[in-house]
Amino acid sequence: MTTPKPNVHTLQDFYNPNVLINLGPSHPAMHGTLRVMCRVNGETIEDAACEIGYLHRGIEKLGETKTYHQWMVYTDRLNYCSALNNNIAYAMAVENLMNITPTERCQWIRVICMELARIIDHIICVAINALDLGAMTVFWLLYHWREEAYTMIESMCGMRLTTTYARIGGMSYDLPDNLLERLWKFCEEMPRALDEVEGLLTSNRIWIDRTKGVGIITKEDALKYAVTGPTLRSAGIDHDLRRDRPYYTYPELDFDVVVGNNGDVYDRYLIRLEEMRQSIRILKQCHDKIPMGPLWVKDKRVNIPEKMDVYTKMEVLIHHFKIFMEGIDVPPGEGYSCVEGPNGELGFYIVSRGGPKAWRMRVKSPSFMLFQAFEQSVKGGKIPDAVAHLGSVNIIAGELDR
Amino acid sequence: MSTAPYLTEQGKVAGRLMEKYAKDRRLEADRLNEPVLWARDSKDAKILVKSFMMDDHFKIDFLSDVTAYDNQDGEDGEKRFILVYQLYSLEKHIRIRIKAPVDLNESAETITDIIPAANWLEREIFDLYGINFNGHPNMRRIMMDERFEGHPLRKEYPIKQRMGFNDNVHFHLGGHALHVDNTLLEDGSPANTQALPEGEK
Repeated sequence: MTTPKPNVHTLQDFYNPNVLINLGPSHPAMHGTLRVMCRVNGETIEDAACEIGYLHRGIEKLGETKTYHQWMVYTDRLNYCSALNNNIAYAMAVENLMNITPTERCQWIRVICMELARIIDHIICVAINALDLGAMTVFWLLYHWREEAYTMIESMCGMRLTTTYARIGGMSYDLPDNLLERLWKFCEEMPRALDEVEGLLTSNRIWIDRTKGVGIITKEDALKYAVTGPTLRSAGIDHDLRRDRPYYTYPELDFDVVVGNNGDVYDRYLIRLEEMRQSIRILKQCHDKIPMGPLWVKDKRVNIPEKMDVYTKMEVLIHHFKIFMEGIDVPPGEGYSCVEGPNGELGFYIVSRGGPKAWRMRVKSPSFMLFQAFEQSVKGGKIPDAVAHLGSVNIIAGELDR
Repeated sequence: MSTAPYLTEQGKVAGRLMEKYAKDRRLEADRLNEPVLWARDSKDAKILVKSFMMDDHFKIDFLSDVTAYDNQDGEDGEKRFILVYQLYSLEKHIRIRIKAPVDLNESAETITDIIPAANWLEREIFDLYGINFNGHPNMRRIMMDERFEGHPLRKEYPIKQRMGFNDNVHFHLGGHALHVDNTLLEDGSPANTQALPEGEK
């Protein structure tokens, strides 16, 4: 029997320029199931390759085998931090295919939902990003408000994370009576937490050292790799679908598009903070402007009958069964609709050949492009910078792998 | 609702497309009234992407999406797959969609050399539909495992088909296959800590 060799590390090992480091797929700092293979020289990442697909559930294939209604629940599982946003974007895509315009009140509710989702998503991004870099307090400060927002969402649709709130042609429930009051209270108090976070981070020496000039995605790269959302704006490109291709009631709302100029982690952090303030500004306007009125469109193809009528009237019962057992009939044709999601352009490209199921259901997710750009821009940085960079672009695996 | 400025720009697009590009190509409008231009094949689509980026009437500078769909029922021509390019202009906020038919066993032309963002998107099409792209720098599967067989988004692929794998995992660093020796030394440490990309040995 031979004695085991002692594990000798020579200087040659130390200066080896070809060490492979595998980040992820299950690692607390990798935010889901993301995996990056890095070739490091010392601490510097010289080459990186991202592997994705660890959360691939075939959502697009399922979209071709489920009816339009059934597929709504799958949209919750795309970007699970802002499920409301996905529900509404999807409902909008199908409504566009059917030439349906939601009612006034429904549009305002949807705007409220999307802005709440944006705030939640940005809270997660900023808080987790700071947590990754060691700033625990920010996490506690912000997550309190995320909890508050989720409680509001719970009162709207009964669920917190996977909401399935939108329906094609309307919403599953109207807003509860006291929601606007709570929303106002939220809008009044939440910015104080943002002020506190700003006091903790914005001029914090450690935070600046860790984030300024780190994870830069330049203007050229942002265009080349087609990133969208806060990451695109941090690179100095003034683009926001809410303003540039407005949908729902955004033209009537007053808000600013926040643009950075360096494209680094610090800029993205500032942009997200300011976007939360802008969202709150929008929510306040929604609180003042939201009209009363019908929630559902008067379209027999999609209108889900009142439950009471289903129980008491024969024809309505048949109609109800037709909608839920067969699905709604979407005319042949195609369309690409997109909204400005919290992380960028979330688009649904649907090809319909008629009937209750889509022929092709394509989800254009912002995270996919962001992770591709991440693969390029992480090169040349240090390993801890990669963690800061990844946290700041907020890639959600559910949306990335679909 | 009030008319947004992008709508007037979008209105001009169809006219310009009709005038310059749709002489021998089919021009359609989709359900949202956005223009869809049918390229003859994927080579033609690449030429169109290039010329749209040059055209001052469009100022296309942004690739929203590249995807494909199965044309098994033959509704959109004889060829089996349709490639779909979603183009966008950050300045004019207009959208143009280019469609290109690709047949089974036919290779498509990559646009990675014009817009690098198409890299992963084309890999995804290759993975899920099995369309090969000529000149693509890293034509590998992206969503599914490397050992997976078949292309799940094709219509003939059954939704409940499952596939098991054995344990020999391949390592890659970008497009390079890595030769990583998985055997362990007697003390349990890996035998080979210096994995070199192919060609850099």
